[in-house]
Amino acid sequence: MAEPVSHVTAQMPRAKLAGLLLFFLGPAVVIYTLFSIYPLVATMALSTYTSDTSGARSFVGLANFQTLLGDALWSKPFWNALGNNLIFFVVHMCVQNPVGIALAGLLSLPGVRLKGFYRTVMFLPTMLSVVIVGFSWNLILSPLWGVASGALKAVGLGSLFAPWLGLESSALVTLSLISVWQFVGIPMMLIYAALLNIPEELIDAARVDGLGQFRIFFHIKLPLVLPTISLVSVLTFVANFNAFDLIYSVKGALAGPNFATDILGTFFYRTFFGNQLQLGNPTMGAAVATVMFFIILLGLCLYLFLVQRRIRRYAF
Amino acid sequence: MANLSIEHLNKRYGATTVLNDVNLSIEDGEFVVLVGPSGCGKSTLLRMIAGLDGASGGDIHIAGKLVNTLAPAERGIAMVFQSYALYPHMNVRKNMTFGLKFTGVPPTERERRVTEAARMLRLEELLERYPRDLSGGQRQRVAIGRAIVREPEVFLFDEPLSNLDAALRVSTRVEIANLHRLLKSTIVYVTHDQVEAMTLADRIVVMNKGCIEQVGKPLDLYYEPANLFVAGFIGSPAMNFFEAEVEGIEGGRARVTGAAFRTLDISAASLKVGDRLTVGVRPEHLVRGEAGAFTAEGIVELVERLGEASFAYLRRVDGKMFVAEVRGRQTPAPGETVTLVAASPDVHVFDASGLRVATETR
Ligand SMILES: Nc1ncnc2c1ncn2[C@@H]1O[C@H](COP(=O)(O)OP(=O)(O)OP(=O)(O)O)[C@@H](O)[C@H]1O
Ligand SMILES: [Mg+2]
Repeated sequence: MAEPVSHVTAQMPRAKLAGLLLFFLGPAVVIYTLFSIYPLVATMALSTYTSDTSGARSFVGLANFQTLLGDALWSKPFWNALGNNLIFFVVHMCVQNPVGIALAGLLSLPGVRLKGFYRTVMFLPTMLSVVIVGFSWNLILSPLWGVASGALKAVGLGSLFAPWLGLESSALVTLSLISVWQFVGIPMMLIYAALLNIPEELIDAARVDGLGQFRIFFHIKLPLVLPTISLVSVLTFVANFNAFDLIYSVKGALAGPNFATDILGTFFYRTFFGNQLQLGNPTMGAAVATVMFFIILLGLCLYLFLVQRRIRRYAF
Repeated sequence: MANLSIEHLNKRYGATTVLNDVNLSIEDGEFVVLVGPSGCGKSTLLRMIAGLDGASGGDIHIAGKLVNTLAPAERGIAMVFQSYALYPHMNVRKNMTFGLKFTGVPPTERERRVTEAARMLRLEELLERYPRDLSGGQRQRVAIGRAIVREPEVFLFDEPLSNLDAALRVSTRVEIANLHRLLKSTIVYVTHDQVEAMTLADRIVVMNKGCIEQVGKPLDLYYEPANLFVAGFIGSPAMNFFEAEVEGIEGGRARVTGAAFRTLDISAASLKVGDRLTVGVRPEHLVRGEAGAFTAEGIVELVERLGEASFAYLRRVDGKMFVAEVRGRQTPAPGETVTLVAASPDVHVFDASGLRVATETR
């Protein structure tokens, strides 16, 4: 055993120490195992089986993965979903996070009135049910009765309107932007909290040094909240590659038009549970889920080894 | 280097007045220390000079120029903060040159200034280090260096030493004094440490509740406090106060009596019979004796021994306490009744409104 942590534990009888460990760590271990580790392992195990028409399962090793990545019937929708998911993520990174940072920066400016009001308003969509969000945006953007076309016409931009959600070319980006609209409050809040943590005197020092608010933001505040920004990016990555609900509530499981908005979540859903003519295939679904897990794991590892190590948190 | 003048400066936050009609004129090259109890508005005044806070009324001139509407960087000031406020993501060199970049100082000139400031503050070895790798004293020197390279007209310090330990505080204090001698710059320095104020200042400004109580040379404040507040604030332990009343006037001299001291005879033209007064005597001016210009008795309750001196806490006849400094190895024992006297120049008299009464005690 390693060095005793304290004299108290060092002098404890072994049984008592074990009891103590069990008391403090036990609940977490039990819950974590039951609801995280077990499902993960079970899913991975399931992905190595296949079931025949009678429902009997047999072990096939990595054959499911071979099918998924090799058989055009499976691989085409899979790569499509993965590509769409990447676009979904890129839109979030390029729109949600910069806008969140900008909003947080504005909120942290001295002398802004009604800060609490703006904060709440911008955080409100995050708390809405995704079904309501999907439904409202469906209505807003509807070419038949949506307010979007009318609103654009009113300001003389009627010609810009298109049924964005219905076009293969724009549906995915539109959905991504709806998701951005809904969740922009989260990066804003996290970064705002980090900005509040920067001591006032540091900002004063920068003002004495001749920096305006804009430069203070870019040269002082932004570098100091970089750790939070990178954390937000990771959260975005994980959330985006697990996303499902918005697409499902706006477009249904088929993620139309013509799978233009299909992401890994919806692809998994159809595979696992089936949809219309497609039969549910739990073992293949487990293979998709496992691949999703490894994609996220890979992303996190890249982040941890390439980004996290270079970022330094500053104590003030 | 420049003079600084503040006229009718006011600062209000809503209904609360933080600074109330502050007038102050600081000479070129003067080292002025602002002291006062916590919350009296010292930092606010300094920040207004710096331009970090706006004024609710009044004017500030630096080097003869009205700076009310100028941004901090345009005022020709540099400020050193209590928390050092170094940029944590820049090394020492960048911390010092960062501001210069934005005020259009060419790179070679920046380099020259940094080299010179680093030499002056013994920071040469530390230029590539980050603030997190510096000790408190080193950080404070960097903060001072960052101020120096700006080559300001006026240096502003807000309690720069209060985060340092006692020994470092003394050595940094000496450094700041040396720096002032070297740069001959105008300095406004906020502290609530009396020793810092007394040792560093050419003039001390004593503030209380947003008003200036007195401005003067350190020893003038000590020997001739303008009012009760300054008398009680300057000096440690604080001056002892005794309630008193004018009992009679004979030939231009007033007989002053009080419950806790023997009748005192002072010359004061302005006094009338029945005037309520406060008589103040500093602990260090009280010595054991039989009878003096001022004589008071007390029963020793407690003796604090500091080494070079001891402080005796005595219970007076009227039940209140007063303090006397005792020199030497023989200290009075608790319970002992002691008679203490003070010479006439060391007796301060204040009228009912707290203002000093010009006296000539005998
Ligand atoms: N934004 C504000 N709103 C209301 N009152 C304020 C504000 N900022 C400062 N004050 C008040 O102004 C007064 C002076 O504050 P200031 O910081 O100048 O005190 P100080 O003399 O520097 O005290 P210390 O020695 O503790 O630093 C305080 O009573 C404080 O409560
Ligand atoms: Mg202060």
